[in-house]
Amino acid sequence: MDKNLQKRVKYQISLIIAGIFLYISAHAQTVSITGKITSADDGAPIPGVSIKIKGTGLGTISSIDGSYSIAAEPGKVLVFNFLGYAPQEITVKQAGAINVRLNSTSSKLNEVVVVGYAKARRKDVTGSISSISGTDLRQTQPTTFDQALQGKVAGVVVQQVSGQPGGGVSIQIRGVSSISGTNSPLYVIDGIIIPPVGDPGKGGNPLNAINPNEIASIDVLKDASATAIYGSQATNGVIVITTKRGKAGPPQITYDFYSGYQAIAKRLPTMNLQDHAGFINARGQVWGFDIRPEFVNPKYLGTGTDWQAELFRKAPMNNHNLTVSGGDDRTQYLLSASYFNQEGIAIGSNFTRASVRLNLDNKTTNWLKIGTSLQLARVSENQNSTASGVIGSALNLTPDIPVKNLDGSWGGISNTNGWVLSTPNPVAMAEIIKNLRKRKQIFGNLYAEIQFTRDLSLRNEVSGNFDFNTEDNFTPTYTFGKTVNNTNYGSTSMGQNEYTVIRNFLTYNHNFSRYYVNLLAGHESQVGSFQNAYAYRSNFPSNNVQAINSGDGTTARNGGDYGSGTAQESYFGRINVSWDDKYLVTANLRADGSSNFFHTNRWVNTYSGAFAWKINNEAFLKGVKSINELKLRLGYGVTNNQGIPGNTFVTQLQTIANGLSGIAQWQNNLANEDVTWEKTDYYNAGLDGAFFNGRLSFSLDVYDRETSGLLLKIPLPLYSGTTAGWSPGSMQAPYINIGKVRNRGFDFRVSGTNISSKNFTWKTDVTVSRNVNTVLNLGPGGADASLAQTSYTINQVVEKTVVGRSIGEFYGYVFDGVFATANDFKTHALPADQAGNTYPISPSGGGIWYGDRMFKDLNGDGIIDTKDQTFLGSPIPKFQFGINNSFTYKNFDLNFFLSGSYGNKVFNEQSIRQTNSQNNTAYFKKVLEYARVELIDPAGSASDIDNVHVTNPGTTVVGLRNDNTNDNNRSNSLFIENGSFLRCKNITLGYRLPESVLSKIHVSNFRIYGTVTNAFLITKYSGMDPEIGSWNPLQAGWDNGYYPQPRVFTIGANITFSK
Amino acid sequence: MKPINKILVFALLAVAFTACKKSFLDRPSNSQISSNNFYKSTTDLRLATASLYGGSHWFAFHSQSMLTLGDILSGNATFPWNGDIVQLYTRTITPQNAIISNGWTGLYNVIAQCNTVISAIKKADPSVSTADKNAAIAEARFIRAIAYYHLAVYWGAVPIIEDNAKLLSDPLLNRNVVSDVYKFVANDLTYAAQNLPKTDQTGRVTTWSAQGMLGKVYLTMSGVDKSGSRDQALLDSAKKYAGNVCKNSGLALFSNYYNLFKPQFNDSPESLFALQWQAGTGYANGNAWQTYSPSGDINPGKNGAWIPFSPNYELYQLYSEKDSIRLKASMFLTGVHYPELNAAGGGFTATMVAMKKHIIGNEKDNNAPTMDFWSSPEHNSVLRLADVYLIYAEAILGNDASTSNGEALTYFNAVRERAGVDHVTSLDFNTILKERRVELVFEGQYWIDLVRYSYYNPQGAVNNLNNQKRGTFIYDKATKTAKRDTTFVAPALPATISSFTLPIPASEMTADPKLAQPPVPYY
Repeated sequence: MDKNLQKRVKYQISLIIAGIFLYISAHAQTVSITGKITSADDGAPIPGVSIKIKGTGLGTISSIDGSYSIAAEPGKVLVFNFLGYAPQEITVKQAGAINVRLNSTSSKLNEVVVVGYAKARRKDVTGSISSISGTDLRQTQPTTFDQALQGKVAGVVVQQVSGQPGGGVSIQIRGVSSISGTNSPLYVIDGIIIPPVGDPGKGGNPLNAINPNEIASIDVLKDASATAIYGSQATNGVIVITTKRGKAGPPQITYDFYSGYQAIAKRLPTMNLQDHAGFINARGQVWGFDIRPEFVNPKYLGTGTDWQAELFRKAPMNNHNLTVSGGDDRTQYLLSASYFNQEGIAIGSNFTRASVRLNLDNKTTNWLKIGTSLQLARVSENQNSTASGVIGSALNLTPDIPVKNLDGSWGGISNTNGWVLSTPNPVAMAEIIKNLRKRKQIFGNLYAEIQFTRDLSLRNEVSGNFDFNTEDNFTPTYTFGKTVNNTNYGSTSMGQNEYTVIRNFLTYNHNFSRYYVNLLAGHESQVGSFQNAYAYRSNFPSNNVQAINSGDGTTARNGGDYGSGTAQESYFGRINVSWDDKYLVTANLRADGSSNFFHTNRWVNTYSGAFAWKINNEAFLKGVKSINELKLRLGYGVTNNQGIPGNTFVTQLQTIANGLSGIAQWQNNLANEDVTWEKTDYYNAGLDGAFFNGRLSFSLDVYDRETSGLLLKIPLPLYSGTTAGWSPGSMQAPYINIGKVRNRGFDFRVSGTNISSKNFTWKTDVTVSRNVNTVLNLGPGGADASLAQTSYTINQVVEKTVVGRSIGEFYGYVFDGVFATANDFKTHALPADQAGNTYPISPSGGGIWYGDRMFKDLNGDGIIDTKDQTFLGSPIPKFQFGINNSFTYKNFDLNFFLSGSYGNKVFNEQSIRQTNSQNNTAYFKKVLEYARVELIDPAGSASDIDNVHVTNPGTTVVGLRNDNTNDNNRSNSLFIENGSFLRCKNITLGYRLPESVLSKIHVSNFRIYGTVTNAFLITKYSGMDPEIGSWNPLQAGWDNGYYPQPRVFTIGANITFSK
Repeated sequence: MKPINKILVFALLAVAFTACKKSFLDRPSNSQISSNNFYKSTTDLRLATASLYGGSHWFAFHSQSMLTLGDILSGNATFPWNGDIVQLYTRTITPQNAIISNGWTGLYNVIAQCNTVISAIKKADPSVSTADKNAAIAEARFIRAIAYYHLAVYWGAVPIIEDNAKLLSDPLLNRNVVSDVYKFVANDLTYAAQNLPKTDQTGRVTTWSAQGMLGKVYLTMSGVDKSGSRDQALLDSAKKYAGNVCKNSGLALFSNYYNLFKPQFNDSPESLFALQWQAGTGYANGNAWQTYSPSGDINPGKNGAWIPFSPNYELYQLYSEKDSIRLKASMFLTGVHYPELNAAGGGFTATMVAMKKHIIGNEKDNNAPTMDFWSSPEHNSVLRLADVYLIYAEAILGNDASTSNGEALTYFNAVRERAGVDHVTSLDFNTILKERRVELVFEGQYWIDLVRYSYYNPQGAVNNLNNQKRGTFIYDKATKTAKRDTTFVAPALPATISSFTLPIPASEMTADPKLAQPPVPYY
């Protein structure tokens, strides 16, 4: 047969088949209806919808791309039904298309979640897993996906560590269990483990190369029964990210776009020039020196420079994302390209990301499936504003300094009397200093899945994360008044990191009539490596020539390192048994070996078990239609953590240069050979329910996790010569296993469709998390043992961890007003030196006098000394919650998302500097309320205690003295503020173009929207933002000139083109 | 599935489940050697002890506290624009003072390095000879003794730590009584004196360093817990060791006092122990004393002249007219020209009165291109021969009111002669104290002298502080006259005997409540 003939025969056969269908239709006097069923949430097609003709037994089911066709008589009613969606009825009028958009009542019922090396229906899950869809995630227009988790997932505390574009967030799942081992969860993206975060403190965020647009869903694995399969890196929970993949069907082309601007939400109230001058004059009179002739008449001065207004700007951001996906039965593909650009609200900061993703799945033969997920990303970040500390400078620099002088040169401090710190001009610093980081990241995996039999398969996976980064710095010569830099210098560094995982596992599934069994067994090895080089020179011939080889070769310094990071090898297995679809049992076992420990401590076992009871499948509930799901889950497990740097079990020698040798060997750390795994006992109980066809669902988990042998880089007293942080010349403190910490709490989520009518729906989601952290034991120091954190602003302990309280509670004196009357000196104890002698009451140096702060004598011994300190609250919130409301009306949608935190305290370190009248810095307006010390009889003695009083005794601001014997700024309750807040994270209003318009322009979906992120904030906190993230639980809740979160206004569109 | 595929698949499976090699989990660092496998030869031990002579562990004490505690606390100078320094000068020191915590932290950092080196050397490869091991341990014990000596002088009773690893199981320590701290220092130095060589690489300590220091320590100990007179046996020990250095070491004073503080004459034979700083080590690793410079013009990078100490009028008055060499080497006087500072720019004419000692000019003056104001190449002495000469004289004077002992006079006058001033014929305590103050000014020594005095004559030491005529001065070069200036001088609290003991840093008291308890014996 020639080809033409072949074609003709095929044609004829199809005609015959079509004829048969026509015949059947004609017989029933029906018309043919076709159409497509999509979700009202995101316009995605819904397969598997049942379409029934009311009053008949006839019906059909929608296909994989959501399309259906059915024959029905005109006048009959079609009923569209799908679990988790509100049913819809449409009367047939004539032949043709009936496209249907179903409103979801709950997506939770049909959800598929990741359970570690496998997927399962949420119904069949025994562990505690929360999920969030990509659509929900994108509501807040996050720069990075981790920012968007806040308030969305019960039990997960997300706090922004820096508001800098692309800046990091700290994520804790169910509390702080480790003190200096990492508390951050394990991130797994399409099976690729993202290596532990190296140094997030600088504002760089390793997760920021991932485009939130490409995420299909995020699953958060919380309890031990869910995480144990991931082993030792998973003790703090696992965040599994699944990216979108292609589906068989006609190609879909999607274009997402948004554009907007960001602005600072709140400025701190600093003095203007007139107030400042008036204040300096008043202080000069008391001090008897530091009089500024230029301030003599404040009236004639202007308002001066408002440094915050100069530094912060309205900053634009733009995002473009184009995705093409589709495929056939054998091959599915998704190709996505995106570009994102964000300027920071502080000048000198920006973030740009360009990325390309390819997800490909291929069924090569009937027994082999192969595929890949591959992402290339380029991230470029200007981090100058953080690196140069310009926000701190903008707050510290006084209003008498101009941004630019009349001649166009940069302004700066011109009078250094009075120990004026040489604070540089922040605007100039932001403009002229270069601090550019670029990162190219490739990460992806490659898998082959072999189906031996219907039940048994083997999956081989190789995944890798390759990161190439450069950092260019240049500081030019500059003159900002008396702040002068006469030598320009620059450095350049390059580094590359690799992290590879090889993983193989067998899966066996079998249905023995009433039993269903699933077995998993596998092996995994992971290893990292790094290489970097660094070069520095100074004395460049010009500030415009910044390439490193232009600098003076004799000033060159260089460095570099290479090596392999942590290596880990693991064996793992899991058994799932389900009986009668009522009782589910899961058991996990995993053995991990880590290079982080001395060889005697290297291997450890992790195990867990869980049981779930699907109560709704019991006979006694089978008949109750309104209960769709009721499931009880119980789980227990032991997990282990290795989250410390490598080689802490030996003393590392570091090469240093001194006058005796260029290669003298310096002891870098105090070693502890005995350091071993941190162990967590984890109990979890949960109840899941869904009612009324999923219109109401909830999930409640209570847990108790006890971590013992905590890995701690122990902050010993200074006399140990070690530091857990950074202190020049101190050895790095040893890692030890110490004590015990308990986290108990609950996570609760409830979702409801309050109203669901044809044109209007209203849905609410609420999440509430509560975690109580208690230190049960702190090791060898006994009752006296404590972990203390010192603030360098006041050179004193501010946070202290002791047994019986939560980790890192604030610690200090209790503020009790200022000395205002002679009686105050009688009723309040005076501070004493270490010998116990109180300082004299005297206006001269070395004495305590009116206007000094009073503190409570808590132990009642008549003096104020270190024993009068107490605990002043915890930076850990009592509750965290998120409330999401979404409305749709016809083609409009509105989303309103609130998140909040209750019961936490914040240490307002920034305010100390700026409310201290003895500092020479810009002051908060509040400083004008300084204690006014007056003589009762103006002719009398100024040092007679009975002749002096304070006219504004209610003030908190210290009087003007050139003496601080009282140590007025000692750590005290005045600096510890209420950090509770309610933040409107997001308001979005969208509009979807009606089908009638879309069909004309060959577009299947077109939605435009406007969003306000961080719309408002309700808080009593006086600083910029009470949300203070930290990676160090011993130093949580410290607000120290922090890059604030902006308020963002965006408009955008999502367009899906049809074929 | 075809058979060939099956074979392929099972081959894959076999590969997949093969465990990694045992060494897979061994991941030692490539850039850092570990102490467990490093100490294989004498050369290795030398590299370990070399690090003790200078580096970041010395930074906190050296950059912040050595001169401020030694010379500002004792009234040699002031600086009005820094609250922490003002507290030292006015005796209103609070436990939050950063100079106090830096001094404490810094000295214990040095001790931690010494202790860790000592334990590593003890475990070194058996092929290294015992003598070499002992010599290396002696170097570390010498430097540890220096740190404990300063701790005892400043804070009195402090915790003694010999093995930092023990802190892992027992982190909270009591203070040890001051006499035991000195005993510990003397033990370390005795070991050092016995095991150190007579000569070594330039810059390394020798037995003479240890014996000189031992003289100083015994002289200090002779007054502890005594009233009125000192312990004669300890005075004799001081005399023995100091005298041995004076007479038998073969060392002599460096010819030129002015040049003694120039880096080109680093580690002259007069230097018994000097910190071995190097240029270009960056912030927190080097000698940061150029931040005490009075003018950016003479600093490397023309920057960092932040805290120029203003010398006291009383101090200035101690220099006789003939004592011009030591005066010029110690203080900038307004209008005086220093050709060697910023030489390429025509030298430097002082515009204010300020500390001169240790201000050595810029990177070109010192032929050190990598020098910045955080890394001066000056090897500042902690112990030098002139100090030991004066110790010897004081030890001979002992409990006598005055002496005209020939040896005491010989060595005392050697110091004066080098300075170009007249010999004396008789010595008493005040002559020696004044000589030490002038000779060793801005080397962190005067407070040590006053504390030593306070041990056996509290009232005398208290009076010394209270009778000081404080205040800076204005210098007129034309008339070569100085006028006292009290504009910036905050009045000081009257000194008492407790003024001689610094408060323990506040954060340390909070971290270890046991420090508030009375000190306990160590031995």
